[in-house]
Amino acid sequence: MTGTISLTINGIAVDAHAGMTLVEAAWHGGVPRVRGVGCLEGVCGSCRVLLRQGKEVNVALACQTFVAPGVEVVFLPAQSAPRHHYNLDDFSDGWDIQARFHGIFPEAARCRGCHGCVRSCPKGIDVEAGIALAAAGRFRDAGEMFFECVMCELCDGACPEQIAPAHVGLFCRRVTAHFHLRPPNLILRLEEMRQGRFGGESHE
Amino acid sequence: MNKGSGIPFAAARAAYRADADLAPLPELNDPDSLLNTFHPDHLRGSTIKLTVGANAGDNCQRELADLLQAEAFIDEADLAGTPVTDADVLIIGGGGAGCAAALAAAERGARVLLATKLRLGDSNTVMAEGGIQAAIEPDDTPQRHVQDTLRGGHHAADPALVAALVEDGPDVLRWLIRQGMQFDQTATGDLATRKAGGMSAPRIVHCRDYTGLEMMRVLREAVIQHRGIEVWEQSPAVELLSNERGQKCVGAVLGSLADKRLRMVRTRSVILATGGLGRLHLNSFPTSNHLGATGDGLVLAYRIGAKLRELDSFQYHPTGLVHPTHLSGKLVTEGVRAAGALLLNGAGQRFIDELLPRDVVCAAILREVREGRGIRSPRADKERYGVWLDTPRLERSAPGLLEREFPKLLARTRGAGLDPRLDPLLVHPTLHYQNGGVVIDVDGATTVPGLYAVGEVAGGIHGRNRIMGNALLEIIGFGRRAGIAAVAERDRGPKKVTLEHVNRMRRALTLASLPLTRKAPRILPAYATGGAWNH
Repeated sequence: MTGTISLTINGIAVDAHAGMTLVEAAWHGGVPRVRGVGCLEGVCGSCRVLLRQGKEVNVALACQTFVAPGVEVVFLPAQSAPRHHYNLDDFSDGWDIQARFHGIFPEAARCRGCHGCVRSCPKGIDVEAGIALAAAGRFRDAGEMFFECVMCELCDGACPEQIAPAHVGLFCRRVTAHFHLRPPNLILRLEEMRQGRFGGESHE
Repeated sequence: MNKGSGIPFAAARAAYRADADLAPLPELNDPDSLLNTFHPDHLRGSTIKLTVGANAGDNCQRELADLLQAEAFIDEADLAGTPVTDADVLIIGGGGAGCAAALAAAERGARVLLATKLRLGDSNTVMAEGGIQAAIEPDDTPQRHVQDTLRGGHHAADPALVAALVEDGPDVLRWLIRQGMQFDQTATGDLATRKAGGMSAPRIVHCRDYTGLEMMRVLREAVIQHRGIEVWEQSPAVELLSNERGQKCVGAVLGSLADKRLRMVRTRSVILATGGLGRLHLNSFPTSNHLGATGDGLVLAYRIGAKLRELDSFQYHPTGLVHPTHLSGKLVTEGVRAAGALLLNGAGQRFIDELLPRDVVCAAILREVREGRGIRSPRADKERYGVWLDTPRLERSAPGLLEREFPKLLARTRGAGLDPRLDPLLVHPTLHYQNGGVVIDVDGATTVPGLYAVGEVAGGIHGRNRIMGNALLEIIGFGRRAGIAAVAERDRGPKKVTLEHVNRMRRALTLASLPLTRKAPRILPAYATGGAWNH
């Protein structure tokens, strides 16, 4: 842990130690109004930052990114509220789910393949391929691609068609569980409890 | 701790072999004496007796006592001109418990306002790795789940709360699946289960080692999508509101990290779902917790008169990372030990049955370190010690298992150039969980009318030690219970909202000659404020 690294965070010059994350550097440098910090282990998706180094611009999660000389860091505000609305309980069965999906997320079929989402994903998810699977109605496979998604919504901000890829991925995961996860061991135990087999109150 | 004692990291690493022969495990004759000698709860001077409030005379961890016996940030003068919002139910906290309560209340037609200090979903829930307990296997029963929970908690838990927790288990899983949460399945479609520390049967249901993330992103989306729930982010609660006699909770005063303004919310019932207090770093321990875990709910509940319990009992999770530094205190899930990973001291030998309850394993690691058999961290600037979590040996005995079942562990260490399949992990106990909390009944109701508490802020379910998987079960089970009960409050709502309870506490502090200069809740740890929360 030797050497001082100079960078700017939200426009403020900070001298950090090598090996610090951008969050640690912001605290160390007393940068005010850094509000988007949460879990500090890369799973809550809150600490979104824009990184500028020369002409190169990138996005990342600040708690998982280490300081580098000369980098300009800007903490980003949270993504605005999602524009796509649905309620799983409105879906009577799974047979019309593909039409429903395109009704809720009409932009998903219009992906131009610009790779903005892929480049912005701090988890290395092939977001574009996931969207293609979702648009083709392959929700289980699409959802699996988003398994490590932390809902930072950086891809949502990067998409020129406003597909909201993170929410598409989550939709795919949710309908897969909602319609298809029917585990026999759980169902048997629920039925046993409903019959009062374990002496507790019976459930309905 | 003997400064400078212990085996240097480089030497221990060079001596480590994943295929080394291990001596038989030494027998543990007296777990109670191990706990009494080494567990942080028993450190000399770490507890004091409270002198004011509903728990006057009870033992309390010293740093927590300073916050419970503190002055509020606001008084009546601050409320003049403060905008008022009305809601049927106010939920304070946006983790798993808060979201479950919000959904349960909104499903019953209530107008719900959910206020959270940071972003919706920023919580300890999202970081939970291991899983959720429910007795669903054929050879398991709810009774065994109750017994394991009571025994793990050293028989200090409230049996009625434990019975309610356990009874909810299978239905909680069904409800989560209905919300769209996925779980790992066996080849035949059953929910896969694991057996962890202190459990008599496999009972942990999980989603690889991302169980909390999967739960939280689904609940967060369900809350955002629900028309009956309004969410205010960056809105920490700074005080509760009481009726003119200071005896019923009728709302809360919320601050704002964005514009610093105060807002009042008037309501029939308030559900505290503020989580734990790891970020108070009790006894100078690192923590696995989220940045917002500063014990605010305990402070607010105590000031309005609620009874608390087990304020001297905290869980130090045995396996927090020491290295890499930026993940200091962060967890390696107990699931890794449940899958077979061993703990080795600096001499490369086992020293404790890895699947004993967490408090016992924690005390054993602290014993190894204190007696000079720990491994000294490679960082020169900080005196830190640990023991090995022997993940390479696990990888040898079950190739591919770490990658298949613990992708989060691999993803986090990858960034630091560490591979748990090749490198043993340096671990040390980390402040993880508040075992006690606000006294509640089976509906989550506190001893103050109109005030509910659910999740980690509540006490009585885990006794003096929580076993793995009961936290994720509790937040959903009791979150839903409180959401349902809060809607059923038939009170027509407050006529007058006051800070009478604040005045009452101030009088008590003055009478007890306690300082009025200390203010609470903490809202954010001092090292993270940087101007974000300055009063």
